[in-house]
Amino acid sequence: MNFWVVVPMVLALIGLRFLKPGILLWLAAWWGGCFIFLRFGILPPLPSSIIGLFMAILTAALALYGTADADKLSAIGKSLRAFLMERRFAPWLWGSLVVIPLLVGFNAYRQATSEAVAPATGRTIHPAPPSEITFRGKKIDILKASNPFRELEGKDKAAFAGHVAGGRAIYYKNCVFCHGDNMEGDGLYSHGLDPQPANFADPTTIAMLQESYLFWRIAKGGPGLPEESAPWASAMPAWEATLGEDEIWDVILFLYSFTGRKPRAQERAE
Amino acid sequence: MTYRFGYLYALILAGTIASPARSEGGSDACAAGKRLYMEKCSQCHGESGDGKGVGADFFNPRPRDFTSGAFKLRTTESGELPTGGDLAKVIRNGMPYTGMPAWPRFSDGEVADLVCFLKTLNPDFADTSVHPKTVTVPKPPAYREESARKGRAIYEENKCLDCHGSLGRGDGESAPTLKDDWGNPIRPADLTRRWTFRGGHRREDIYRTFMTGLNGTPMPSFMASVKEEDRWPLVDYVYSLSKGDDPGYASMVTAVSAKLPKDADGIREALARSKPALFPVIGQVIEGRRNFFPAANAVEVRAAYDSESVAILVSWHDMSPQTSGSNSPLASKGDSSRAPLTDAVALQIPFKAPEGNAKPYFLAGDKKNPVEFRFADLGKGEIRDFLGKGWSGLTASGAAVKADARYDSGEWSVLFLRPRRPAKGLAMDRGVFVPIAFSVWDGFSGESGEHGGVTSWYTLYLKPPEEGSPILPAAARALAALAAGAAIVFAARFRLGRPGAAALSKSHLSVDTESGDPR
Ligand code: HEC
Ligand code: HEC
Ligand code: HEC
Repeated sequence: MNFWVVVPMVLALIGLRFLKPGILLWLAAWWGGCFIFLRFGILPPLPSSIIGLFMAILTAALALYGTADADKLSAIGKSLRAFLMERRFAPWLWGSLVVIPLLVGFNAYRQATSEAVAPATGRTIHPAPPSEITFRGKKIDILKASNPFRELEGKDKAAFAGHVAGGRAIYYKNCVFCHGDNMEGDGLYSHGLDPQPANFADPTTIAMLQESYLFWRIAKGGPGLPEESAPWASAMPAWEATLGEDEIWDVILFLYSFTGRKPRAQERAE
Repeated sequence: MTYRFGYLYALILAGTIASPARSEGGSDACAAGKRLYMEKCSQCHGESGDGKGVGADFFNPRPRDFTSGAFKLRTTESGELPTGGDLAKVIRNGMPYTGMPAWPRFSDGEVADLVCFLKTLNPDFADTSVHPKTVTVPKPPAYREESARKGRAIYEENKCLDCHGSLGRGDGESAPTLKDDWGNPIRPADLTRRWTFRGGHRREDIYRTFMTGLNGTPMPSFMASVKEEDRWPLVDYVYSLSKGDDPGYASMVTAVSAKLPKDADGIREALARSKPALFPVIGQVIEGRRNFFPAANAVEVRAAYDSESVAILVSWHDMSPQTSGSNSPLASKGDSSRAPLTDAVALQIPFKAPEGNAKPYFLAGDKKNPVEFRFADLGKGEIRDFLGKGWSGLTASGAAVKADARYDSGEWSVLFLRPRRPAKGLAMDRGVFVPIAFSVWDGFSGESGEHGGVTSWYTLYLKPPEEGSPILPAAARALAALAAGAAIVFAARFRLGRPGAAALSKSHLSVDTESGDPR
C-alpha cells in the first residue's frame, strides 16, 4: 500500500463531502479516487487488465447507484444539463473538451512506446490442503494429523531438544539455500526463483498454519500443489523422496523453534 | 527477534545485567557471543569453529575454518590476521554469492560479541603485543575512462590475466589448477560481474583486495609490485569490466523482428542488435542428484525472428571449455564411471500452448504438460531435441543437428534456431509471450543430467515490428476524442436549447441569476 497516495486521496474525498458536492461531481470523485487507488495506491502495482476489470465493475456500480431512484436520476439529469448549458460551468466544459483528448492522445502514445510486459499471473499462496495424502505408501490425514513429537515439549525437554536439533541439521543440509539462514526466504538461490521461497519469520506463513499443513507442503512440495497455486513454477521440492516421516516432523519443530512462532492450533475433530 | 531474547538470556546467565561489559576479550561478552554463535553460525562454521558444521558440505567455498587464522577480507597486510573491525564488517555485509549470509539484523553490540568470540578460536588473536600493519585505502579519485585504459597495461604486467583471463571472465590459463589452502578447487573471480565480489564492489574495495590479497586463496597481494600511481588506474580498469553494481536480472527477453540470413555469422550479426537479457542460474537443489554449487551463475540471452524462424543466442561464462567426451540431460544414477564430461546447454519451452496460466513443471516438464527440450552437447557440437516429462522422462524426439557453438575468452555462446511454426510443438506468433527456461552444465565440474545449473521460467516475447512513428496514431486518437466530445456537447446544447426545452432553458436562466453570475 502506498500511503503517500492513499491517505491524501481519502482526505480529499472526506473534504469534498463537507463541500456538499452535486451528485455528479460526487460520483466522478469516487470514480477518479478508485482509479488512482488501484493504479498508484497499491504496491506492487496491479496489472492493467485487473485495474480495467475493477473499474468496469465500479462504473457499473456507480451507474446503478446513480440511477437507483427517480430523485437521484433527476438530480443527475439536472447537473448534467447545468454543466452543459450554464455559463458558470463554461470554462470547465471547454477545459474538459481540451484536456480529455490530450489525455487520450498521451495514453495512446505511451502505450505504443512502452515495453510490453508479460501478463501477471495470480497465485494462491495457501490453498486448501487435500484431506488425506499417501506418504511413502502410508495414508496421512492432513486435517487431523498432529506432530507426534510436539507433546514432548512439556513432558521430556531433553528428548524434545533432540528432535529440534535433528530438524536443525536437516534444515541446514536441505533448506537453507532457498529459505535462508535466518528463515526469511532470502537464501543463496532465492534471487533465481519466482515465486520466492516462503519467509518463515513472516507472521503470514507458518504462524497461521497447522503443523499437518506444513507436513503436506514439505512432503509434496511444489508439484503437489493444486492448479491455482501454479505448481509448475514453485521450486519447493517434494521431500517425500529424501526425508522420512519423522525427519519432516523434526524439521517442522525446528522451523517453529528457530522463528519463535507457534503453529495454529489443530481444529477439534467433531 | 528471537536472538535478542537469546542474547538477553545469555547476559542474565553471565550475571551482568547491570553492566553488560563488552570490552574485547572480556569473557562476559565472549560468552554472549558464544551463545549467539552456537545458535546462528555453528551449523556452518562448526561448534568448535573448525568449519565443519552440519551444513558445511553444501557450500563452495566452504564455511571458514576459524582455527586456521586465514581470512579473506582484511585491511591488514597479506598473511596477517584481520582486525576486529574487519570481522564485524564481514558479519554485517556477508559475502555475496557464497553461503556466508549478511546479518543486518544484529545490533552493534551483538556483532561485537560475535567478534569477541571468533577471536577466542585462534590463539594468535590473543597475542596483543603484535599489531598487524594495516593497509589504508586513500580517498578514491573520480573514475576516469583514461585511467581505466592505462590500467589495462598494469593488469597485463602483473599477470592478473593468468588467473582472471584476458577479458576478466575468470578463465585465465592457470584458473583450472587453482586450489585454496585447504586443498579445495577455487575459481578466480569473474571480474565482469563485480556484484559477485566477496569483499564488496566499490572501487575502494577493489583497491583493498589487490593490496591485501585474500589469505587462504591463490589471490596474492600486489602491494609491493603495483606502484602507487598505478593503483587507481588498475582499480578503474577492473571496475570498467562490469556493466554495473548490480546484475540487472531480467524476467523477459524480447525477440526483435529481423532478417535472419542462412549463415550463422549473419544470424549472430542480426542478434547483436537485440537487447540482451541476463537470467540468474541456480543449482538444481530440488531433485535427484542435487547440485549445490553450479559453475555458472547466469545466462545471457538474445533473440530475433523472421517469418520462418526464431534465433536464440545463449551465452554464459565458463572457466575452461570441455569439448572431449560427451554429456547428456538424461537423469544419471550418479555413476562414477567418469567418462570425460563436456560442457552443455539446454533451452526449454512448453511443448503445447499453455492453457490459461498453466505451464509445464519448470524442471524439464511433467507428464501432463511436457516440454520441448533442446539439448546442445558442446563436445559433439550438436543439438538434439527431447520431449521432456521430468528429468527421468526425457525422450529423444528427432535427429541431431549441427550446433553453432563458440568459445571465446571465457564465454560460450550457442545459437538455437527454431522454426516458428514447427510440425509438432508450440507455434510462436508475434505479440505472444512464450515461457522459456535454460539449463547449463559444466563438464569440468562433473555436471550432467539433473546435476546442473537451472533457471526458473522466464518469458520470450516476439515483438511486432514497429510501424512508423507512434505520434501520428496518438494524435489521430486525440482528434477523434475531441470530435466526439464536441459532437456530444453541441448536440446536447442544440437539443436543450430548442423551444421544446423552453422550460428547461428557463430554469437554466433562473439558476444563472441565482448564482449571481456577473456576466
Ligand atoms: C529450491 C528451493 C527450496 C528448497 C531447497 C526448499 N524450499 Fe521450501 N519453498 C520454496 C519455495 C519457492 C516456496 C514457496 C512457494 C510454494 O509455496 O511452493 C517454499 C515453501 C515452503 C513451505 C510452505 C510455507 C507456506 O507458507 O505455505 C514450507 C513449509 C517449506 N517450504 C519448507 C521447506 C523445508 C522444511 C525445506 C527443507 C527440507 C525446504 N522448504 C526446502 C523453495 C524451497
Ligand atoms: C549458511 C552457512 C553459514 C552461516 C550460517 C554463517 N556462515 Fe560465515 N561463512 C560461510 C561461508 C560459506 C564462508 C566462506 C565464504 C568464502 O570463503 O568466500 C563464511 C565465511 C565467514 C567468515 C570469514 C570471512 C573472511 O574474511 O574470510 C567469517 C568471519 C564468518 N563467516 C562469520 C560468520 C558468523 C559470525 C556467523 C554467524 C553470525 C556466520 N559466519 C554464519 C557460511 C556461513
Ligand atoms: C594466482 C591467481 C591470481 C592472480 C595472479 C590474481 N588473482 Fe585475483 N583472484 C584470484 C582468485 C582465486 C580469486 C577468488 C577468491 C575467492 O573466491 O575467494 C580472486 C579474486 C579477485 C577479486 C575479487 C575479490 C572479492 O572481493 O571477491 C578481485 C577484484 C581480483 N581478484 C583482482 C585481481 C587483480 C587486479 C589482479 C592482478 C593485479 C589479480 N586479481 C591477480 C586469483 C588470482
